[in-house]
Amino acid sequence: MIGKNLSIMHPRPSSIVAALYTLRDLNVDVAILHGPPGCSFKHARLLEEDGIRVVTTALDENGFVFGGRQELSSLLVKVNEMFKPKLIGVVGTCASMIIGEELREPVEDANLDVPVIEVEVHAGYPDNTKGVLITLESAFEVGVIGKEELERQKVLLREATLVEKRHGAASKEYLEPSRGDVKYKVAEKVVRLLQEGKKGITIMNAKKETGYMFADVSAAVNEVALALGKEGNVVNMANIDDSLGLPRVRHHAKCITADLQERGITVHEVIGGMDEYPVTGEKVGELIKQKYSDYDFAIITGVPHAIPMEALEGMEIISVTNGPRQVLPLKEMGHQHVIVEIDLHPKTLGVNHIVESEFGATLREVAKDVLGR
Amino acid sequence: MKDQKRIAIYGKGGIGKSSTASNVAAACADEGYKVMIIGCDPKSDSSITLLGGKRIPTILDLLKQHLDVNEKDIVFEGYGGVKCVEVGGPEPGIGCAGRGIIVAIQKLQKVCPSMNDMDLIIYDVPGDIVCGGFVAPIRKGLVTEAYILTSGEYMPLYAANNICKGLAKIDTPLSGIICNSRSVTREEEIVRKFSEEIGSRLVAFIPKEQVVQDCERDGFSVLEKAPKSDIAQVYRDLAKSIMFNDQSILPGSLDDERLRELTR
Ligand code: SF4
Repeated sequence: MIGKNLSIMHPRPSSIVAALYTLRDLNVDVAILHGPPGCSFKHARLLEEDGIRVVTTALDENGFVFGGRQELSSLLVKVNEMFKPKLIGVVGTCASMIIGEELREPVEDANLDVPVIEVEVHAGYPDNTKGVLITLESAFEVGVIGKEELERQKVLLREATLVEKRHGAASKEYLEPSRGDVKYKVAEKVVRLLQEGKKGITIMNAKKETGYMFADVSAAVNEVALALGKEGNVVNMANIDDSLGLPRVRHHAKCITADLQERGITVHEVIGGMDEYPVTGEKVGELIKQKYSDYDFAIITGVPHAIPMEALEGMEIISVTNGPRQVLPLKEMGHQHVIVEIDLHPKTLGVNHIVESEFGATLREVAKDVLGR
Repeated sequence: MKDQKRIAIYGKGGIGKSSTASNVAAACADEGYKVMIIGCDPKSDSSITLLGGKRIPTILDLLKQHLDVNEKDIVFEGYGGVKCVEVGGPEPGIGCAGRGIIVAIQKLQKVCPSMNDMDLIIYDVPGDIVCGGFVAPIRKGLVTEAYILTSGEYMPLYAANNICKGLAKIDTPLSGIICNSRSVTREEEIVRKFSEEIGSRLVAFIPKEQVVQDCERDGFSVLEKAPKSDIAQVYRDLAKSIMFNDQSILPGSLDDERLRELTR
C-alpha cells in the first residue's frame, strides 16, 4: 500500500473533456455526453468548431433519480438519423457514473449499425489522462485502434502525466496564472540576437492542434533571420512526424509540414509525432549534444517544460506556451523569457493551416522597424 | 478464464443471505472447489464466519484512506481456502453506498487476477435492488446467475417477487429459489408454488435450526463447527445443486393479489 501524493488546489483539466478530445482524434462524427446539460459545455462547444458534433442527454433531477437509459438510447437513434455518422462516442459524466448508469445497454437498445465507443468516465480523476486512456481502451475493444497504438499511447500518457508533475501545472499546490513577459520586449531580444549573428534553434514541441499556431513562431523567426541575412544561423526542430498517432493527429502533422514547406522553411530535425511532446526531450538533448552544442539561444514553443534543462545548457531560452499557469514553473526551471499565447486553443480548432501567433506578428513588426532604421 | 460460476444471492434484508452464502462457500471448498466470496453488504458479515470471527479490512476502508490497494490487502483466506473479500461502505447517512460498490468492484477486478482461477464466486449483495450501484456486479457482467433467498412469509416473498422483476429488467437469469425457513405453516409448499409460478424452481429448503445461529455467534460456519449436523448436509446438497445447475430462466413475477393469496 502506498499513499497518494500532493493534492492540487487549482482546477485542472477534466477527464471527461480529455475523453472528448480523444474521441475527436479518433475521428468520431458525434460525441454524446451522457449527463447534465451543462457538463463540460465550453469544450463541448469548442469542439464543434473542430467539425464534430457534441450533444448531451441533458439528464435532470429526474434523470439522476430514475436513470437515463431510455434517454441515451433514443438520443443515439436520433443522432444516427440526423447526422448519419460513421463513428459515435458516448461519454459518461460524474452524474451518470455515480448513479451506476451502464452505457452498454442503451447502445444495445439503440441497435445501430454504426460502431460506438463507450467511455465510462467521470471528472474525479487527479490525472486527466485517465479520460484518454479509458477512451482508447474502449476504442481498442470496438476495433477502432490496434493493440500497438494502444500500447504506444499508454507510454505517452504516462510520460505526459510525469511531465505535468515534474514541471507542469500539476507540480504546485496552487499556481497563480500569469501573462508572462511582454512580447514586444522578447521580440526585440530575439531580433538583436539574430542581428548579432548569434545561432539559434527553434524547437516546436507542440501538443496536437496547438501546433497550428506554434509553428507560426518558428516561421516568424526564420522570416526575420532571412530578412537580416542570417538564415544560416537558424536550425528548426519540430514534432511533426506524420506517420505517428491517431488519425486526426497525423493529419495535423501533414498540414503543418506542407505549410512550412510552402513558406520555404526547412525543418532540419523531426523530433517526433504531434502526440509525442512528452517524450521528445531526450531526442532534442541528443541532437543538441551531437550537432548544435555551440548554439546560443533556443526558442521553444508548445510544451517547453518537457525539454530537460540539461539539453539546453548554456543557451538563452525563450519559451512560448499557451498556459498562463505554466509561466512560473518555466521561470523556475531557468527559462529566461516566457511568453503566453492567450486564447491559442480556440483559434487552432477546426483549422487546416498555420494560424498567426501574437508573438510571431510582434517579431515580424519589430524586425521591420529594425530593418527600416 | 476457466469455466466459472459467478452467482449472486438476493433476498430481503435479514433473511439469511450471508449465512447461506458462507455455508455454501464452505461446502464447496470442502468439495475441493476454489471459492471466493465477496460481501457487498456494509455489515461485512459474509466472511466473518469463514474467518473464525475475525473482521477483515474492507476495500472501501482502504480506499477511503487513499491507499493504493493490492490483492493481499483485501483478499483473505478463510476456512477451506475460501478467499474472502469485503466491499464495505460509507457511514450511514453519508456519501453514496451504491457508488461505493461500483468503485470497490472495479478495484477488485483490477488488482485481483486470481479471480479468474476460481470455480465459484459468490456475491453476497445487499438486501434489495435499490439503485444502479447495487446491481453493479451484474451490470458489469460479473454475475451470470442469481439465486433468491426467501421464507414463506409475505414480506420476504414480496421482496423476492420484486427482485424477480428487477432481474427480468436487467436481463439476468434466475437459477432458483432457496427457502430459508422461518417455521411458518405450509412454508415449503408456499415457496415451491411461488417458485413454479414465476417459472423457476425451489432448489433447497433450509430448516430453521438453532445450531446455525450458535455456530455463527462463535464465528464459524456449520460446515466447520458442526459438520455432522443435518443442516450441514442441507448446505452440502445446496452447494451441489448450485455447482451443477444448468437451468436458468428470466423470471416472471406475480401480481400482488396472487402473492397475498399464496401466503394466506
Ligand atoms: S460535476 Fe461532473 S458531471 Fe457535473 S458538470 Fe462537472 S464534470 Fe460534468
